[in-house]
This record gives sequence, C-alpha cells and structure tokens, in this order.
Amino acid sequence: MPASPEKSSALRMGLLIFLGLAVLTALEFAMAILLAFWQLLLLVSLFKAGLVLYYYMHVSRLFEADQDADHESYAYRLATNRIGLWLFLVSDAFIFGGLLISRINLLGLTRPELNQVLGLSVTSVLLISSFFMNRAETAMAHGDRRQFIRGIGVTLFLGMLFLAGVVGVEWQIAAFGPGDGVAGAIFYAMTGFHAFHVLTGVIFLMVVLRNGLRGRYSVEKHWAVEACAVYWHFVDVVWIFFYPALYLIGTVL
Amino acid sequence: MKKFFALGLVRGLSWEIIGTALGIGFVTLVRLLIGLPAWKAEPAVVFGALLGALFFLVGVGAVDDWFKWAVGRETGEHFDDSHPGWRRYFGASLDHKVIGIQYLVLSLILMSVGGLFALIFRTELAEVQMQFLTLNQYNTLMSLHGMVMIVSILLGIAAYMNYLVPLLIGARDMAFPRLNAFSFWIAVPAGLILLSSLFLGGFDTGWTGYPPLSARAPLGMQMFFLGVSLAGFSSIFGGLNILATVIRLRAPGMTPFKMPIFVWAALATSLISLTATQLIGLSFQMVMLQRLFGMGFFDPAKGGNPVLFQHLFWFYSHPAVYVFVLPGLGLISELLPVFVRKPLFGYRWVAMSSLGIALVGFLVWGHHMFTSGMAEYLRVPFMYSTLLVAVPTGVKFFSWVGTVWRGKITFETPMLFLLASIVVFLLGGLTGPPNATVSTDLHLHDTYYIVGHFHDTMFGGYIFPFFAALYFWFPKMTGKRLNERLGQLQFWLITPSFVVLSLWMMRVGLLGMRRRIADYDAALGFEASHLVMTVAGFLIGLSLIVFFINVWYSLKKGPPAIGNLWNSRSPEWQVASPMPVHNYDQPFEVVGEPYDYGLPGSQYIRFKGEK
Amino acid sequence: MKHLITVAILVVLGTLGVHAGLGTLGLLPEQASLQAIAVDKLLDVHLWLISFLFSLIVMTLAYSLAVFRRRKGETGEGAHMEGNTTLEIFWTMIPLLAVVFLAFIGAASLGEIRRIDPSALQVNVLAGQWYWQYQYPEYGIVSTELYLPVDRQVNLQMTSNDVIHSFWVPEFRVKQDLVPGQTTELRVTPNMVGEFRVLCAELCGTSHAYMESAVFVVTEEDFAAWVESQQSTAEVDPLLLGQQLVQRYGCTACHSIDGSQRTGPTWAGVFESVIPLADGTTIIADREYLIQSIINPNLHIVEGYNPNVMPSFASVLDQTQVEAIASYLETLK
Ligand code: HEA
Ligand code: HEA
Ligand code: HEC
Ligand code: CUA
Ligand SMILES: [Cu+2]
Repeated sequence: MPASPEKSSALRMGLLIFLGLAVLTALEFAMAILLAFWQLLLLVSLFKAGLVLYYYMHVSRLFEADQDADHESYAYRLATNRIGLWLFLVSDAFIFGGLLISRINLLGLTRPELNQVLGLSVTSVLLISSFFMNRAETAMAHGDRRQFIRGIGVTLFLGMLFLAGVVGVEWQIAAFGPGDGVAGAIFYAMTGFHAFHVLTGVIFLMVVLRNGLRGRYSVEKHWAVEACAVYWHFVDVVWIFFYPALYLIGTVL
Repeated sequence: MKKFFALGLVRGLSWEIIGTALGIGFVTLVRLLIGLPAWKAEPAVVFGALLGALFFLVGVGAVDDWFKWAVGRETGEHFDDSHPGWRRYFGASLDHKVIGIQYLVLSLILMSVGGLFALIFRTELAEVQMQFLTLNQYNTLMSLHGMVMIVSILLGIAAYMNYLVPLLIGARDMAFPRLNAFSFWIAVPAGLILLSSLFLGGFDTGWTGYPPLSARAPLGMQMFFLGVSLAGFSSIFGGLNILATVIRLRAPGMTPFKMPIFVWAALATSLISLTATQLIGLSFQMVMLQRLFGMGFFDPAKGGNPVLFQHLFWFYSHPAVYVFVLPGLGLISELLPVFVRKPLFGYRWVAMSSLGIALVGFLVWGHHMFTSGMAEYLRVPFMYSTLLVAVPTGVKFFSWVGTVWRGKITFETPMLFLLASIVVFLLGGLTGPPNATVSTDLHLHDTYYIVGHFHDTMFGGYIFPFFAALYFWFPKMTGKRLNERLGQLQFWLITPSFVVLSLWMMRVGLLGMRRRIADYDAALGFEASHLVMTVAGFLIGLSLIVFFINVWYSLKKGPPAIGNLWNSRSPEWQVASPMPVHNYDQPFEVVGEPYDYGLPGSQYIRFKGEK
Repeated sequence: MKHLITVAILVVLGTLGVHAGLGTLGLLPEQASLQAIAVDKLLDVHLWLISFLFSLIVMTLAYSLAVFRRRKGETGEGAHMEGNTTLEIFWTMIPLLAVVFLAFIGAASLGEIRRIDPSALQVNVLAGQWYWQYQYPEYGIVSTELYLPVDRQVNLQMTSNDVIHSFWVPEFRVKQDLVPGQTTELRVTPNMVGEFRVLCAELCGTSHAYMESAVFVVTEEDFAAWVESQQSTAEVDPLLLGQQLVQRYGCTACHSIDGSQRTGPTWAGVFESVIPLADGTTIIADREYLIQSIINPNLHIVEGYNPNVMPSFASVLDQTQVEAIASYLETLK
C-alpha cells in the first residue's frame, strides 16, 4: 500500500520529535555532569514534557470536541472518552506530583547513589518506546495494520525491557534497600509507583496487540489504540521528571 | 436460596471472603518460600484485604464489561434488566438513578454506624473517669466515628450528584456508566475494610492518622488506611464522571449560566475530588509502606519528616471539607427559590462563588498546622488565604438572604431543613475565622472548640441539606411522599439538640477541654456540660430513628407522588414519579432561565414536539 | 424602606445582645501570661464580628420569614428579583476588606505573642509516651514539673522522644507541637503566680488523656529557692530512684511488676530469666540485657511483642538513671 502524504508527514513529525527528545535527554545528562544547575534541568524537563504532550499525546484534540452533535454518535462519544481519559491523567498526575514534592522535601538537593549508565539506558528505552508507540498509532490512524502491529510489538518489548531494567536490575544492584534511610524509601517509592504504571501500560499494550491481531480496529474506530498511546506517553512524561529528580539533580548523598 | 445467591451483593461478598483467604494464604506461602517466618499478620492481612476488595468487584459483576472489552467483545448499552424491582438495587446496575439510590442507602447505613460509635463514646464521656470503655477502645471508636462519618458524607454527596446531575442537565445517564458502577461498588469493600479495623486491634490516631503514632498503631491502622484509600478511588472516579457528564451531556441550549445551580456545585466539588484525593491516598499509602517495608518517609530515625505527612494529608483534607459542603450549599441555593417562589438572587455570583471556594480552598491547608512546627514564615500567608474563603462563602449567604427577602415563603419540611442549614452553617462558618488567625488558633487548636466548629459546618453544610433534599426528592425517587408530620417531628428533634450540642462543645473547648481525650479532669468542672452534650447526641439519634420510621412507613403506606409536587421549574418534576427508566422520553431544550419564579409566562425547558 | 429600617434596628440590637450574652458566659480560663492578653484581645474582635454577622443574617432571615411568609389563602409568587450587581459588588468588597483587615491585625497579634526577649529563661522540654520532662540547662536541673519565675519570658525548646505531642497550658493560651527529630520553640511570659497544668493537646496514643504535668509560676525568690533545693538534692538510694523513675516515665503503663499482662512484658521475675526472642533465639536477662532493653529496645524483641512499640529512652535517661532502673528491676521477683 503506498503511503499517503498525510501519513508520511505524520510519521516524519513523530521521528523529528523523537530526535528532539533524544538530543534534549543527552543534553540533560551532559548538563548534570558539567554544571549542577537544577533550574536548567527543570526547564529542559518542562520543554520535553510539552513536546510529548503536544505532539505525541495530541492534547489539542480535546479542544476540537464538537458540542452540538448527536450525543449517541460514535464521534461524540469518542470525544467524551478523550475528556475522561485526560481527566484521569490529571488526577494521576497529582500522585506523581505528591511524590516529587516529598522527594524535594526529604532530600532537597541531594540524591541517592545510583548507576548512571543504567539510568540513562532505561530512560532511552522508554523514550524509544514512545517513538514506536507514536508510529503504531499513526499507522493505525491511516489504516496500515502491519506497521501498527509491528509498532505495538516493539513498544511492548521495550516496555518490558524498561521494567526489567528498573525492577530486575536497578532494584537488585542498588546499594540500599527500601528500609535504608529516607533516600532509599523515596527511590523505591518513586520508581515503584512509576513501574506500576508501566506495568498497567504493558498489560494495556498486550490487550491492544491481541485485539489488533484479530483485526478489531479500523481507521475510524480505534479508540483503544489511541487511549493506550496517550496513556503510554503519559507514563513517559512522568519519567521525564522522575529521571532528573532521581539521577541528575543535586549531589550524591 | 438460589435467588439469594443470584444477588450481586451476595456473590460479591462471597468472592471477597475467598479473595481475602487467598491473599492471606499467598503471602504466607511466599514468605515460606523465601525463608522468612511464615506467619506475620500485617503483610498477609493487608494483601488479603486488598485482594478481597478486587475479588468483590469481580464477584459483584462491576468489572464484567471491561473484561469483555479487553477480549474484544461488544457490550450492550445497559445490562439487561434481568432483576426487576428491588432486586436490581443489590447488583451491578448501570443506571445512574439506581446507583444514586445505592449510594444513598450505603451512606445512611454508614451514618448510622458512625453515629452509633459517637453515641457509645459520648456515653463514656458523660461522666469523668472510665466506665465501660478502655482507653484504646475509646480512641478507636472516636477515630472511626470521624472517618466513617466522612466516608458516609462522600457517599451521600455522590448519591445526590449521581441521581440529580443527569436529570438536571437532561442526560440519559452519566458519561461513563460502567465507571460509575465501579465507583459505587468499590465503596462497599472499602467500608467493610474500614470497619474491620475495629476487630483487628483498633487504632488510636484520630481520623487524621498522623505518623509516627500511626506507624506504631496496631493492625487496625492498616485497615483504616486501606479502606480510606479505596474509598478515595470511589471519590476520584465519581468526580471524573460528573465532570465529563457536565462538560459533555448537557441538553441543547443549556449554556453554563443556564445550568441549575446544583450542577455548578457538583462541578466545583468534582474538581476537588478528582485531584486532591490522590494526595490523601498517597500519604496513607506512604505510611502503609513505612509499616510494611520500613520505608522511613516519616520516621525521624531514618531521616524522615513527620510534618511532611501533614502537608500531604491536609492538601486533600482541607479541600475535602469543601467537598462535604459545596453540594449541600448548592442544594440550599437550588431549593430555596422553590419555597420562596422567587428567583435565586444573583445566580451568576453564586455559581462563581462555588468555584471560588473550591479554588481558594486549595491554598489554605496550612491552617491545620499552625502549631505543627512547619516553617514559621508560612503561617501568615496561610492565614490570609484561609480568611479569603469567607468572601465567596459570604456571597452565598447574602444571596440566600436576598432570595428569601420579599418571597412568598412556605414552611414544608424541606424548607425547614433548609433554614436550619443556613443558620447552622453560619454558626460553623463564623467560628472559622477565629481558627484562621494564628494567635487565637494557638489557643483553640485541638480543643472542643474545633470539634464544635466542624460539627456545625458539617451539619449545616451537609446533614441538614441532605435531609432537605431527601424530603424534597424522595417522592421522585420512590413515587411515595414522606409523611409530613413525622418530618416535622424529626426536624424539631434534631435542630435544637444539635445546636445545643455544638454550642456546648465550643464553650468547653474555649475553657480548656482538649479533643480526643477519653477522660477529663473532674477539677475542670465540665461534667454537667458533657452530660448535656451526651443527651443532645441521643436526641439526634432519636430523630434519626424517627426518620427511618418515616421512610419505612411511607414506602408502605405513603400517598403516591403525583405531578409536580412542589411546583418546581426543574425538568425532573415535569415528568412522572418515580423517574422513568430512561429519564426523559422526550429530550428537552433549554429556552429560559432556571429560576424565573414569579415571571409570568416564562419557561425553563421545552420538550421536543411541545409548543 | 420601612422593612430595611426595622431590620437595621434588629441587627444592631442583635449584635449588642449576642456580644453581651457571650460576655456573661465566662468563656475563657484565667489570663496568666502576656500572650494570653494579646490572644484574648483578638478573640474579642472576633466575637464582635461574629455577633454582628450572625445578627445581620439571622435577623434579616427571621424578619423575612415572619413578614413575607405566605398567609392563609394567599396565592401568587414572590417578587421577581434576579439580582443586583451593585449589591453583589458591595457585599463582596466589604467582606474582602474586612478579612484583609482581620488578617492584618492577626499578623500583628502573632508578632506580639512571638516577641523575643533575649533574657528569656531557657527550658528544654522533652516529651514522650506519656511524660513531660523539663531541663534547665542554666542550672543543670531536670524536673518533671515546670517551675517558672513570674514576669520573665521563658523560651521553651521542645522535642519529642517518640510521637507528636503538644504543649498547652490553657491559662497561657498558646500551644506548640513537639515533633520527634525536630526542635520547636514556644515563648511564654507568665504574669500571674499560681499553679496550672500542662496538657498534651495532640493525640499521642493510649494514655494521651492523662498526659499532664504541673506548672508552678512562682515569684523570683521562690524560683531561686526551688533551684537551690533541686541542685542540692542529696544522692538518693539507687533502688528508690529507680522506682521513682519507672513511675515518672510511665514505664508502668506498659510493664507490670506483679506478672499481669500489659502492652509490654511483665517485669516480675525478669532478671536472670530466659527470654524467648522474636527471631527464635533466647537470651538470658542479665543486667546488660536490661540496660540495652531500655536504651535500645529494638535490639532484642521479646517474642510475642512488636518492635517500635517501646520507645528508646537513650536520650531521656542518663547513665546513672538507667543503672538505677536496672538495679531496681533486678529486685523484682
Ligand atoms: C465541612 C466543612 C468545613 C467548612 C465549610 C469549614 C470552613 C472553614 N474552616 Fe474549618 N474545619 C473543618 C471543617 C470545615 N471548615 C474540620 C473537619 C476541621 C477539623 C479537622 C480536624 O482537625 O479534625 C476544621 C478545622 C479548621 C481549622 C483548623 C483548626 C485547628 O485545628 O487548629 C481552621 C483554621 O483556620 C478552620 C477554618 C475554617 C474557615 C476560615 C472556614 C471558612 O470556609 C468559613 C467561611 C464562612 C464564613 C466566614 C461565614 C459566612 C461569611 C460571611 C457572612 C461573610 C463575611 C465574613 C467575614 C468578614 C469574616 N477550620
Ligand atoms: C458528618 C460528620 C459527623 C457527624 C454527623 C457527627 C455526628 C456526631 N458527632 Fe462527631 N465527629 C466527626 C464528624 C461527625 N460527627 C469528626 C470528623 C470527628 C473528629 C474525629 C477525630 O478527632 O479524629 C468527630 C468527633 C466527635 C467528637 C469528639 C471526640 C473527641 O475528640 O474525643 C464528639 C464528641 O462529642 C462527637 C460527637 C458527635 C455526636 C454526638 C454526633 C451525633 O450527631 C450523632 C447522632 C447519632 C447518629 C447519627 C446515629 C443514629 C442512628 C441510630 C440511633 C441507629 C439507628 C439505626 C438503624 C435504624 C439502622 N464527634
Ligand atoms: C509504650 C509501651 C512501653 C513503655 C512506655 C515502656 N516499655 Fe519497656 N517494653 C515494651 C514492649 C512492647 C516490650 C517488648 C518488646 C521489646 O523487647 O522491645 C518492652 C520490653 C522491655 C524490657 C525487656 C523486658 C523483657 O521481659 O525482656 C525492659 C527491661 C523494659 N521494656 C524496660 C522499660 C523501662 C525501664 C521503661 C521506662 C523507662 C519502659 N520499658 C517503658 C513497651 C514499653
Ligand atoms: Cu502526648 Cu497527647
Ligand atoms: Cu481546613
């Protein structure tokens, strides 16, 4: 099937945003090593989150919702579902916000000693997964089922890799356990809450993959795919803040 | 027997028991496998309770459709109504009216339980020295009284928001009916788990659960935390649903400023419950983790900070007090015009004041912590923000006075309760500013003055409006009218005794009566006052019994509700009672203002096909 | 207009009536500190405000109900008034100004009660489940009763040994929490000789209700005499001291000496007995064990009990006191 011009331009945009995010992450990492300046890190994180919110999560779609159509129509319900999902994310954001605040309150500008290579690796894994998620969703929106399945598959794999990296490796090699001092507590709480969300995302991806393989989605009706994508990117946005908060800002304890 | 087990509730409870047992067994097994001493009550019971709650949801059938969706099956719009009549109230229904009534009943049950706890410990307080409770039993009952009542309030407002919002805006149902059923049903195991703390050693922290005390309290503490966290989910998803419903499902022509005022209140309330609730959940879960895994967030020995908990806790729990009252205040504004036959005075200002209270309410949590040892420079800004809430609240009061002024007032039971709401909430509100100015709070904090303050606000802002609304809408819900005589009797029992209860609380508080004490020094000379309070408490209890008799009697023998009983302009009264299954058979369109009483020829809504 | 004038008169009368009524009730305990004067002054402003606003709304409401109620046989609707923007702005702005003013005098009042006197007497307060301990670093005195010289500011530096407690003397009007791991400060200037009680105002577990101690506000001379007497307390018999200490620090709230069961294991016959521990091992309760159990209770957890229940007394008791308690425990059979 020849790719339609809209589709290729959407894919190109996805790639561009991904590259931007990758550069910013590298910059962030370098910055943390070269100059300890948390305000800059915060700015970069905010900018990255903005990119994801706008280009990957399509926050602007919320405002295109049509108010006067037939309330029972698919399009109208779709827009309602979007609002519902976003409200949920807003709510969820408060948990992560609370964790961040607790981290700042308890640790200030210090951080636990962690494996930097591993941190950067899992962050990259999550970032790449976001790229593939976006590809998958774009493909579905343009009716390319093959590419959609491939994209979801890769995302799912990367998601599990991330989980393995954090829970399977980082938690095992960390020099401290959850009961060792407040830094340990905060580290396990933040990564734990986040990992739980990744886990639910992984399950969601599995469901989408299964139903996708059975051909249950179409260009017009693929709300589950969209919801899965938005949720997945949200989990990524959370990590955009958690990564510097845990690995980069301040000095090692 | 078979019919009995076909009830969703019964199935849910049986599944919950199985789930709990499985959970306990699982943790024990895992501990055995990794070589720890196999039996340790706390992790096993916590995990068991959690799993039990999930099993309950599966058993009751509240998540069936989601599983079906996950495996790619389509589901119908509504569960097929295989359980007609009363039976559908005992299983997972998707109808917002059924869910609303389910919430209402559960709320009343919890209110009775919580109230009963109060009566028990009040009896203990009537005399100095301990008579029939131990110190720990007192603490447990007192703490559970607080939290059970609060959960009951959350369910009560959810009842009204669920029942009324779709009707008032002309929607067929809520935006997400399945989520709605989920929100209700998760509250059932939440309530059970919360109450189970009574049998698992109790706890002694008050409803606020401050660590480090809560980190060392008995096992009951964990059930308290878990139960409240689950109830929090109910509140979060309920709020989400209301917001989406109000944003998306209004009848044609219903622009924001033509919505019934209660819808504004529901909107403001839901904004709070959607967001802030996560933080009480988080703070409670952090203590749970501290207890289970030794994660020292609030443990000074590990570098933790006990005051952090208070910030997280009050970031929710202050806004939560506006969750309790905003719907009630909305109900006052909604119903007052009906009984004075006059438009609501300054509709737009009242609508905006709800939002104003909700938003400013996010910035004031520190006023519970003036003595806590938080950074000292924060006290003054929190004082300013707290006092600021008086401004939008005042707008509501003045608007009510403006509404009543030169009306044609009648005094049916709902109206009596409305008037009592206004006066009692005024008492509660006006006793707020002395707590807000720091130096006076240093005296008042943690005394019965505070206890009096918040019973006044909660009765005025919730309990009295709750009954006003129930007398008003009971005919709509059931098709039967409540008995007016018994209604008046309940009113005249509850109002004076409550006013006495709360004023006496404040008086002994000012004189030096601490709160949360099981026993007090006879030398203080408070014994007579405490006896008065206890008697008043029992009279309130009696008034509730009168109310229950009224409900029971009216359901059996009450006159049927025919037509527009209260001569209201609101859409739900333009159709038959009880409400038809799919709400409005004819969709309606909004063509005028909601409260144009006294304007000849004005119309609020027009049904399709009607002139 | 007639209506409005009547209501205005009612409101004025109501305000005066309510305030006078509140005044006769005797709402506050004695005023025994400079801080109390400032607090009471602000409280009186509040009482006026409450009296006025309560009368304003209730009187108007009551008047409407009485005068505008629907009479028998009357039909028809109320007056059609939708609102009045001027009025709305008016009753938004006036309360706004009122609360800003209130907050302003609130801040002033706070400033007054927090005024720091550099010559204040320092007392370190330590609280635990369920006792109060007062240390006078200037004099090297430790006491479980608070003695204060009248008319001199006292600077209380407070911390807690276990959970949050709160220091409150109703007659002084001010209170402050004691938080484990932090030091909080409270300043009071008692200005009246007398005996009062420190009450713990923050729920701190089982015996919270009974967590009180005495405060004696005494003249400068009496204070000096008390200091003298405390400093010269002759060496007491360690057994007697131990017995006093376990009473004073509330040990006996959790431990019995007659074998009965309380929150903690009984002390009867504990010395030299074989104690089964929670980790499955056993230990002989020698003197060393007893001492460790007091200063580091989590080191060995007795089977059937939970860690973190018994607080550590390491920072509360000094070496001799712990020794004295241990000696006392050794005598319990
Ligand atoms: C239903 C709930 C409810 C409501 C609506 C309120 C409303 C208010 N509350 Fe209350 N409060 C509680 C429930 C509520 N509270 C509870 C449960 C606690 C105790 C928690 C615990 O520790 O267990 C508490 C405790 C509490 C404290 C902490 C006390 C302490 O522990 O030391 C404070 C301190 O500032 C406070 C202040 C206020 C204020 C300023 C308002 C204001 O919103 C009131 C505003 C209303 C008016 C002022 C009246 C009408 C206004 C006018 C007529 C306009 C003109 C007015 C002026 C110019 C002043 N409250
Ligand atoms: C809406 C909330 C609400 C309500 C309605 C009440 C209602 C009552 N409360 Fe409540 N109270 C709180 C919320 C509430 N309370 C909170 C949050 C706390 C703080 C807890 C803490 O400090 O942690 C508190 C604390 C509190 C204290 C302070 C305890 C202490 O500090 O030691 C006292 C003391 O008198 C008290 C008394 C009462 C009384 C007598 C009633 C009465 O009105 C109760 C009336 C009786 C009933 C409602 C029962 C009626 C039912 C029956 C008689 C059974 C009939 C049943 C059937 C027919 C099935 N309450
Ligand atoms: C809040 C309750 C509490 C208080 C107060 C308390 N204890 Fe304990 N105590 C316990 C508990 C529970 C244990 C058993 C768990 C453990 O070994 O830590 C214990 C154990 C002990 C033991 C070991 C006893 C044995 O049988 O092995 C000694 C000795 C002891 N406490 C002394 C004291 C002294 C001295 C004080 C006061 C200065 C005190 N306790 C105050 C709860 C308390
Ligand atoms: Cu110490 Cu209450
Ligand atoms: Cu508050």
